[in-house]
Amino acid sequence: MVFTEKIIDPRELRHVEGKIELYWIYTSGEAGDYFFKKLRDEGKFTAAKCKKCGYIFFPPRIYCEFDFSETEYVEVSGEGCVVAYAVAYYDKNGEKLEKPEIYALIEMDGTNGRIIHLLGEVEPEDVCIGMKVKPVLKPKEEREGKITDILYFKPA
Amino acid sequence: MMVEKVKGIKYHKKQDVAIVGAGMTIFRRRLNETGKELSYYAVKQALEEAGLDISDIDMVVMGSAPDAFDGVHMKGEYLLDGAGASNKPYVRVFVGGGTGVFAPIAGYWHVASGLADVCLVVCEEKMSSSHPHPQSAFKYIWDPILDRPLKPNLIWIFALEMRRYMHVHNIKHEDIALVSVKNKANALDHPAAQLAAKITVEDVLNSEPMALPVRRLDVSPPSDGAAAIVMVAPHIARQLTDEPVWVTGVGWSLDTTWWTNRDLYFPRYVAEAAKMAYKMAHITDPRKEIDVAEPYDPFDYKELHHMEGLGLAKKGEAPILTREGVTARDGDLPVCPSGGLLGVGNPIAASLGVKVAEIYWQLAYRAGKRQVAKEVTTGVAQAWGDLMQVGTVVVLSNKR
Repeated sequence: MVFTEKIIDPRELRHVEGKIELYWIYTSGEAGDYFFKKLRDEGKFTAAKCKKCGYIFFPPRIYCEFDFSETEYVEVSGEGCVVAYAVAYYDKNGEKLEKPEIYALIEMDGTNGRIIHLLGEVEPEDVCIGMKVKPVLKPKEEREGKITDILYFKPA
Repeated sequence: MMVEKVKGIKYHKKQDVAIVGAGMTIFRRRLNETGKELSYYAVKQALEEAGLDISDIDMVVMGSAPDAFDGVHMKGEYLLDGAGASNKPYVRVFVGGGTGVFAPIAGYWHVASGLADVCLVVCEEKMSSSHPHPQSAFKYIWDPILDRPLKPNLIWIFALEMRRYMHVHNIKHEDIALVSVKNKANALDHPAAQLAAKITVEDVLNSEPMALPVRRLDVSPPSDGAAAIVMVAPHIARQLTDEPVWVTGVGWSLDTTWWTNRDLYFPRYVAEAAKMAYKMAHITDPRKEIDVAEPYDPFDYKELHHMEGLGLAKKGEAPILTREGVTARDGDLPVCPSGGLLGVGNPIAASLGVKVAEIYWQLAYRAGKRQVAKEVTTGVAQAWGDLMQVGTVVVLSNKR
């Protein structure tokens, strides 16, 4: 195959190097604050149910995007089922990973919502769509109130 | 409901809109030219084809996706002079990967509303400035609380989507790979092409794993490039050409950034955008009434996914049409006769050049070696982007 990529290093061209030096501090919001504190302090999972249509959002939100009604928090198990998965060979910078990682889209039991997260304690060839999974959390003293307090999901 | 209203979208317009010229630069992984220079070359070519001068342009629309690629914050303003917009009404629009078809929609507003009689639409992307890799810019499109700490790479969310599409319809990778084979071969006839090649299904299936099921040859490359079209009112079109190509329908729709919360096997937002555009264009059976299509194909499975969203195939039927040769350049419904993003390259917004511009060239019978075998009247171009949430659709016809 002959491809036409001629310039491999743009430094061969007349150039200048530059950076945009900024950083950001993101707040987790009202619903996020509730969700992550429950996860950190009690190891529990929270969803939010629309007071009007009954749709259950996971992760929780303070509003229903469909009818703009308020929601109320409901506790859920944190278990779910795999609806799609990918076996990643490259990291977020496009660098090759030492060992492929499995990312899955997980439908959360008792909700209408899904999240993405890593799968662990399972090999890529043993994963299937429809597989039941449960979360593995960090030990309580190491939890920070972040999504990474969930280490991964493993076969239930 | 607080007020009385007539339901549905209105299609009141002041005047019809024609495309009378298009241009594009070559697409390459890295080009020496600046974004302004790329824009200039594309505009020059479009004006030349239209038979117009920059002084004839009333207003300019710029389409360009994330600032992070070029590394110039507010790059719409930065690109302005190369787009021929000095001291003119100018606006930059962007909806990520959907921009290449959204910018012509914005150009349509300018002319259809009667605000402008001649509107230049320019799209630019210079992805090579971004280091270590354009991929790094995508690190920052994720939800910073829920997704980003998991260190996502854009390719693997598409792997999730491809897996879901294959699972729901029981589609084999072999059938999806045929799209890459077709488009890269079509691109051999495109003078701007970056990745034109004769490849086989086995080449695709044996190429390097990126995020399985996605392999290297399932994916379009990052590119630098620009494209432009000239959109005009009927009384201008009449003076320039006997065969203008009319914009008969436009549609766009966005789902939320909660992309995990939808079933990824079907792009509902594309279907909604198509519904709007078809209604406007009085198309009731797209499979029969559309002669040629340029759905967005940054990945091979996306062409199939989008054909189904556009109603050009039933759900799960697009791979069958592909295998039967229906979507080949000499088929009954040629799809991506340009070579698409897989073959010509993928400078995000500048994909205007292989989407709306290609359908314009096909309907104007100006596509040269890429001209499809069948007689063509009506075509559709579509793009997709943001966090797998936007569909943008333009229907063109050489009959008003």
